[in-house]
Amino acid sequence: MSNNTPTKQLPGWAGGLIVILIAAVVAALGLLATSINERKWEAARPILVSQNIGQFESDNAVWGADYPREYDAYKRMDIDDTKTKYGGGFPRDYLDDDPRQVILFAGYGFSKDFLQARGHIYAVEDINKTKRVKHPTVDNPDVHYPGTCWTCKSPDVPRMMGEFGKEADPNETDPIKLINLGARKFYRTNWHVLKKDMKHPIGCLDCHDPKTMKLRITRPALREAFTAMGRDIDKATHQEMRSLVCAQCHVEYYFKTDKAAGKKDYLTFPWNKGTSVEAMIEYYDAAGVKDYVHPISKVPVVKCQHPDWEMYKTGVHAFRKVSCSDCHMPYRSEGGMKYTDHHVQSPLLNIANSCAVCHRWSEAELKSRVESIQTKVANARIKAEDAIVAAHFDVAAAMEAKAADAELAPIRKMIRHAQFRWDYVAANNGMGFHSPQESMRILGDAINDAQTARIHLARLIAAKGVTAPPMHPDISTRQKAMATVKSFQAGTPPKLLP
Amino acid sequence: MGLGSGIKSVLTLSGLSRRWRIVICVMLGLALGTGVITAHLGNALSYLSESPETCMNCHVMTDAYASWQRGSHGRAAVCVDCHIPHSNPVAKLAFKAADGMKHSYVFTARSEPQVLKLSKAAQPVVQANCLRCHANHFDMIRLPGPKERKCWDCHSNVHGRVHGLSASPRPLRITPRRAEGTTR
Repeated sequence: MSNNTPTKQLPGWAGGLIVILIAAVVAALGLLATSINERKWEAARPILVSQNIGQFESDNAVWGADYPREYDAYKRMDIDDTKTKYGGGFPRDYLDDDPRQVILFAGYGFSKDFLQARGHIYAVEDINKTKRVKHPTVDNPDVHYPGTCWTCKSPDVPRMMGEFGKEADPNETDPIKLINLGARKFYRTNWHVLKKDMKHPIGCLDCHDPKTMKLRITRPALREAFTAMGRDIDKATHQEMRSLVCAQCHVEYYFKTDKAAGKKDYLTFPWNKGTSVEAMIEYYDAAGVKDYVHPISKVPVVKCQHPDWEMYKTGVHAFRKVSCSDCHMPYRSEGGMKYTDHHVQSPLLNIANSCAVCHRWSEAELKSRVESIQTKVANARIKAEDAIVAAHFDVAAAMEAKAADAELAPIRKMIRHAQFRWDYVAANNGMGFHSPQESMRILGDAINDAQTARIHLARLIAAKGVTAPPMHPDISTRQKAMATVKSFQAGTPPKLLP
Repeated sequence: MGLGSGIKSVLTLSGLSRRWRIVICVMLGLALGTGVITAHLGNALSYLSESPETCMNCHVMTDAYASWQRGSHGRAAVCVDCHIPHSNPVAKLAFKAADGMKHSYVFTARSEPQVLKLSKAAQPVVQANCLRCHANHFDMIRLPGPKERKCWDCHSNVHGRVHGLSASPRPLRITPRRAEGTTR
């Protein structure tokens, strides 16, 4: 038998080799089984909560211990070198890029220091750095700056409002009611007094209920603005809340002082008549609000903040009920898990998760589409700036020609409206993308207001016997623009008429 | 003394001592057992079926499942009707096996993309499957080839109006279909 089938005898070490090979197969299968089980586990039980988070816990890291994916993404907001064509996380210097804004904001903090905001995680650091906040000096060691300016910077804000609320009503336990009770004192307190308590940048407590993680409104101003419009914000759906938590800050606001009602620097949204630019102008005109008097033209200007939510509401994405979070904090898939990406940033930096979820084209196509819309708005914005800057100088020329304030008042009002319209678009993030048609409509009106004012000014100057066009100073660089502003502030303006 | 006899000597463990043979047999038993457990955990048998729930074994497909369920084809067709070829049984099985191996590799290696798109190989397959059912609508029309224009360039609601990651509730969770007729 053995002669017919010459079978090779295996050497002694072959047994060991076979055992090792089989062991490798068993190990590989075991690893695969573990991986499959892990994925199933992830999908079934995504969150393992190990502790109770305090009702006013402002330390984001404490929350992060239980929500590591969300917290890791949140921490990536420290990336501050991202650039898109018009935005990103990089501290772009708007005044270097566009000296017209030095003229437009002349006499106001924004003409000194106006950088593109970095990520939320820098909120506390950057407000401590900006030149727009008035700091104590040797001459004025107790300088008052409104505590209201902290409102959007830190989860320590609801914590402190809660503490002040407890002082007002020691029996109250509901955190939201405590916050609303304490807001008035918070706004009134000096910014520099509150500074030591403002430790953590915008984070978890600002938008989430620590017990249930449900989204909630912690800032009284939005709640009060909804009440003023006759709406109840607690009836908002989850999908609406995914925008409304942003609307706590990304809106137009002003500080209202009403001595009769005991309000000082009380954060207020001008929404009583609606959220459109016209409704806000009507509101501000009726309330006589002005942030500064323009040193060149004496126009009483209202600085528009960042009416992002109001603008978004008029756009097609809002019409389709797409929320802020859907694009700025899109879902991210990680194995069996899906979670909200808490790295809030420009959607152009994450097109796959933000846009391509619905718009299934290539990233390059989507990007060029967005940028072409933004470029059109950017160009119209510059045209509006040119018109408004020219209008400010034309008023100065009319003043030089001895035009009376009574003659100039209606014209100044037109320029006030033009500038607020322009700023409504310019101060918005997204360079018009949040609502392209609305942005262009408003810029069109801004240009029309400014040029109408200039026609009136031309007639007025001519009536004073000057027919030559006013000569506008050179403002082609930030330095030249600043020098021009300073000459007006010093009462030695350049001669604009021959 | 060729390769064949070599394999034969390994298979019969010829020349190995009784002790080695016992050890190897025990190890083979372990391997078989682990293999069966892994296959069970991975729902291996379900891959022989055509049930759409099978595709959700891999959790990233939950979104595709949810959007399909709510789309125009949620009651008319299942995943394999569109996503694997039906020209002949060999092509069908080969495509299913190749696609399945690719997907399990990508998912195990944690390299799945955030947005799932039809691969180059899958596009003509899906286009052919559109026509497999809808051909009678196109008898008199010269159709564009799959490289010119795809059916879903315009008919984008096959997977519902909300695609991808936004289509299913978070977290991704397997939500088996309820009784027939209540898929919404």
